[in-house]
Amino acid sequence: MLTIKGQKTGRFCDGVTRRDFLKIGGLAMGGLNMSQILRAESASGIRKSPKSVIMIYMAGAPPHQDIFDLKMDAPLEIRGPFKPIGTNVAGIQISEHMPYCAKIMDKLVPIRSMVGSLSGDHDSHICYTGRSARGVPIPPGGWPSIGSVMTKLCAANGRDIPKFVGLAPNAGHPPYGSPGHPGFLGASCAAFRPKGSGMGDLTLNGVTSDRFSDRRALLAGFDKLRRDADHSGLMSALDVFDQQAFDVLTSSKLVDALDISKEDPKTRERYGKGDPKNYGDGAPRNNEHFLVARRLVEAGARCVTMNFGRWDFHSNNHSELLTHLPLFDQGLSALVEDLHQRGMDKDVAVVAWGEFGRTPTINKDAGRDHWPNVGCSVVAGGGFKTGQVIGATDRLGGEATERPVHFGEVFATLYHWLGIDLNNTTLPDLSGRPQYLVDGWQPMKELI
Amino acid sequence: MTRTTIFLASVLALHGAIAEKPAALQIEATGAPELTLRGKDAKQQVIVTGKLSDGALRDFTHGVKYSVAPDGIVTVDAGGIVSAVADGAAVITAEADGVKATFPVKIEGAGTHQPINFANQIVPVFTKAGCNSGGCHGKAGGQNGFRLSLLGFEPDEDYEHIVKEARGRRVFPAAPENSLLLTKGINFTPHGGGKRMDAKSDDYALLVRWISQGMPYGNAADPKVERIEVLPKARTMVLGGSQQLVVLARYTDGSVQDVTRSALYEANEKSMAEADESGRVKLFDQPGDVAIMVRYQGKVGTFRATVPLGAQIASMPPARNYIDEQVFAKLKAMGMPPSEPCDDATFIRRVSLDIAGRLPTLDETNRFLADKDAAKRERLIDALLESPEYADYFANKWSALLRNKRVEAKDAPATFAFHGWLRDSLRENKPYNEIVREVIAASGSVEENPASGWYRQVKEPQQQLEDSAQLFLGVRMQCAQCHHHPFEKWSQNDYYSFSAFFSQVGRKPTASKVSDTIFHRRGTASAVNKKTKQPVKPAALITGPMEIPPDDDPRIALAEWMSNRANPFFARTLVNRYWKHFFNRGIVEPEDDMRETNPPSNPELLNALAERFIESGYDLKALIRDMTRSQTYQLSAVPNNYNKADRQNYSRYYAKRLPAEVLFDSLNEVTRTPGNFGGLPAGTLAISLPDNSFNAGSYFLTVFGRPDSSSACECERTQEASLAQALHLLNAKDIQEKLASANGSAAKLAADPRPEEEKIREIYLTAYSRVPDESELALAKAHIAKARNGTDGKPMDPVSAKRQGYEDIVWAILNTKEFLFNH
Repeated sequence: MLTIKGQKTGRFCDGVTRRDFLKIGGLAMGGLNMSQILRAESASGIRKSPKSVIMIYMAGAPPHQDIFDLKMDAPLEIRGPFKPIGTNVAGIQISEHMPYCAKIMDKLVPIRSMVGSLSGDHDSHICYTGRSARGVPIPPGGWPSIGSVMTKLCAANGRDIPKFVGLAPNAGHPPYGSPGHPGFLGASCAAFRPKGSGMGDLTLNGVTSDRFSDRRALLAGFDKLRRDADHSGLMSALDVFDQQAFDVLTSSKLVDALDISKEDPKTRERYGKGDPKNYGDGAPRNNEHFLVARRLVEAGARCVTMNFGRWDFHSNNHSELLTHLPLFDQGLSALVEDLHQRGMDKDVAVVAWGEFGRTPTINKDAGRDHWPNVGCSVVAGGGFKTGQVIGATDRLGGEATERPVHFGEVFATLYHWLGIDLNNTTLPDLSGRPQYLVDGWQPMKELI
Repeated sequence: MTRTTIFLASVLALHGAIAEKPAALQIEATGAPELTLRGKDAKQQVIVTGKLSDGALRDFTHGVKYSVAPDGIVTVDAGGIVSAVADGAAVITAEADGVKATFPVKIEGAGTHQPINFANQIVPVFTKAGCNSGGCHGKAGGQNGFRLSLLGFEPDEDYEHIVKEARGRRVFPAAPENSLLLTKGINFTPHGGGKRMDAKSDDYALLVRWISQGMPYGNAADPKVERIEVLPKARTMVLGGSQQLVVLARYTDGSVQDVTRSALYEANEKSMAEADESGRVKLFDQPGDVAIMVRYQGKVGTFRATVPLGAQIASMPPARNYIDEQVFAKLKAMGMPPSEPCDDATFIRRVSLDIAGRLPTLDETNRFLADKDAAKRERLIDALLESPEYADYFANKWSALLRNKRVEAKDAPATFAFHGWLRDSLRENKPYNEIVREVIAASGSVEENPASGWYRQVKEPQQQLEDSAQLFLGVRMQCAQCHHHPFEKWSQNDYYSFSAFFSQVGRKPTASKVSDTIFHRRGTASAVNKKTKQPVKPAALITGPMEIPPDDDPRIALAEWMSNRANPFFARTLVNRYWKHFFNRGIVEPEDDMRETNPPSNPELLNALAERFIESGYDLKALIRDMTRSQTYQLSAVPNNYNKADRQNYSRYYAKRLPAEVLFDSLNEVTRTPGNFGGLPAGTLAISLPDNSFNAGSYFLTVFGRPDSSSACECERTQEASLAQALHLLNAKDIQEKLASANGSAAKLAADPRPEEEKIREIYLTAYSRVPDESELALAKAHIAKARNGTDGKPMDPVSAKRQGYEDIVWAILNTKEFLFNH
């Protein structure tokens, strides 16, 4: 069940008030579930919002001081061998191994002062929920990730595409392979994962499309149980999802979105190739995921998550970075440019980050270790104020000295941007306690 | 128009609000025969109740004409709010359709303002405006530097923050309207939370006056709110009707204040009713019972509305036991005729799924349908209760709630042992109070004493308290860890005193590392109240502190308190939980959230069940027997012309979706392809799985929401529908393979020489426990007889064609709601 407090301000995503929902004949019985919301939306002709989020988890935590926050005033054992380069925004410099991003800095916002990881544990959790995985109370069922929250609160953009798609394949270290958990929102708000059984279910298995439509007709003939035998509305909800599934299986919009062979070869080249295999126990450096993410939001997905690489460079940090950074630079910049070229930059917000930063001092194995004190992220699209840097660290890159930004603030910004009222929207956890979407963080004025 | 809609339309037209004529009217304010208002700006909501010629009571507060004599003492607005003007006495008259009622009112001190008390008058303004809610200034860290206590539970702290913090810039007595507190509140100065109050409102005026008086806090001797009272307490109302409430705060000095417009209102069934900010309740078009929770200053009260349908009941099915007596009495009072009793086919499928978590076998169904014995339903219930699947199915339920979670591979011996112990206990029908005692007072390692398995995942005293309160007592204590429970009487002291029962639980590692050994640490049980920093002794809910000698295990005292006959929570929680299992809706809903502000839909029924359960010696099988033998359970799910909108009176069986495990097993049964779980014997049923670890390897169980044993709440089991589920059932490779299996039902039926009709009947009996009707038979036969082309475009051979036909039929049946639901 979803609770919105306050008559005047309580809003779902896309500015729909709770009262609007209640008006739509008796749909609120026992709380609204996703399918009821779907029906409510279609019944009331609510304008669909095109806003979507693409979130990129840089699994294992990338070294902030070698990417967006080079420390040229620090001694060599801290600054390392990488040099900065200028960008198309005067005064902003980033790593020399990010030449593509340097050319579109006016469309990016590096945040050099990410804080919030309490434990320094390797976990996608903070990147997908805005909350530390350990060291703070976790509600029964666990925190839901942004995609699951959006599944619960935001309207679908078309019936034949899931709201939340997670591209991450499973990984040797399970948190590196998580697309973001549904937490206390439960399995019905989980990411649709186009892999394994989830992917297999998208295309007809062992039956021709003729036979499938034959079957569908047969099902319609047999499926005569009176829907009013169910008092909860669940039976009709199942009908809605069956319809949606038939649409997916026959329209192939989702399958098409996942199929980048439909894309102009020049575009594919621009995104780069990468490697679909997992990097060790981490995520793959799969540049095609950037392109698939764009195709999915274009087709109507509301939230797409992807995990990229394995940045946990305890040894050989700088040589390992050369296996990751250029690919990441190419994929991310291609995505952002592409969104701009297609006029989607106002409607799609992109965030890329890892769970924390890395130690200023390079260790004896030429690596950098975990550094929860500060890290970096990059934000693009969303109609945000881009072409600026937010925050700064000290001379050694060890502590945030200006405008520390908690992960939760970025989430607050995204939810606010999606039209969700942070002060009044709660979701009940498994103990029934109403939980707010973020722990009191406010949207970032620098971005909006 | 169907009969139902005509009927409902006429009911709705009746209420057509004030079309009803009162035979007599009565004005009430505080329950006293007259009203005295003190001080300038004093106000009081009155309610006007009309008695109709048939004796029914209706609210006329908003449907009468008010007049006052003499003039100039008070005014009354159209909504029944009386405002003081000048000292003196007057009589208020309310009139409708020529019927009148009068009410004397006295005004004292109308020229002077009463002194303001911060806690009693100012804090409620913040609560009503939402300033101190958990999403705004009420959260632990406040908002943008301004912090208020959550829902105003700590007025001292709030006073400090408003008056003294930020160098006093929040209030400005020289020009109260320029106070930041007010300019933000009305959003004159940009406010992140927007406009929370109107500059013309009474609340705003009150704040201005408080600031201009120099922000008095009040005296320590000032009265405090002792309780709140809601008038009326309960009403029988009509569909679409409305009722004005009066909310009175009763203070420690015996004084009374009208706080109707300062209180907060929330319906427990939002689809049935809502209340606006002025305390007026409006009903929608659903019959039943609804409670409006009223909150003011940490105190709660309730208004209960009973909304009968009012249809004539020609005949009731005969009551079979005490359950029927209570349910049917309610249905009579509601004027809601129950659905017809269900037929045998529906019954055998329903009761087998509910008790044993499986479909009846073809053989069981055939024998049952042919059986002429009048007592065959009772015999079937008994047989199911003695079947191993009963113990499997309920062990599966309890195993999830008792958090029998396999986190790592090495946990397997522990999860298997705990699950096995649960299954054995249920199988031998161990009394429920003993099961619970063995769990919460367990000592030893899981290998020595499997019942200690609960402590493996539930490690801290606070978790132990929260889980045992929610699971065994139906009380959600979690909120009271950090603040007074907003909807309940529980304080932080109650919370920590309860946790003290678990303060002496010791753990030490065992050699096998499968689980810790749980033991009782000698010493006096106590816990620290995190708010007061004071130590507290173990105290049971309501009954209070217990004297437990230092060497006694406090958990035994807790278990004894739980199974004391007089315990108001323990038996009621279990019978309500089981009621939900069989009837798909708790008498209290959700089933583990029992509180004064969330009352049962049929209190007599809940009490009767609990009493009988205690008398039976906490006999779980006897409880299930009573429930499933009742006529109520054996009603059809198909609504009649009257009870379509019924969601809480049990006038029919509420169809429920098959849970993940049961659906998986049923699908295997119909396709005749057994399931296979790694490390377990082939054909092991999903309802028999010992722990959650098999979910990870089964996309089916995951996507259909089998719980991961992470929570003591049944709500961890997701029953909501999703696209991934629909895609999987319609098109999964695994399921296609089952359909097309050479050993599967389709292949066997295609090869079977019997007439098609007979074989189609067999599929129907297996999946639905009923025979197909003529049109279904015709549809199926026509589908089988259809000419089919192979992938090469040429006609298929007849054997393959027929097999394909059967595959399609089984596929279609698996995807019908009749299969996916227990109905």
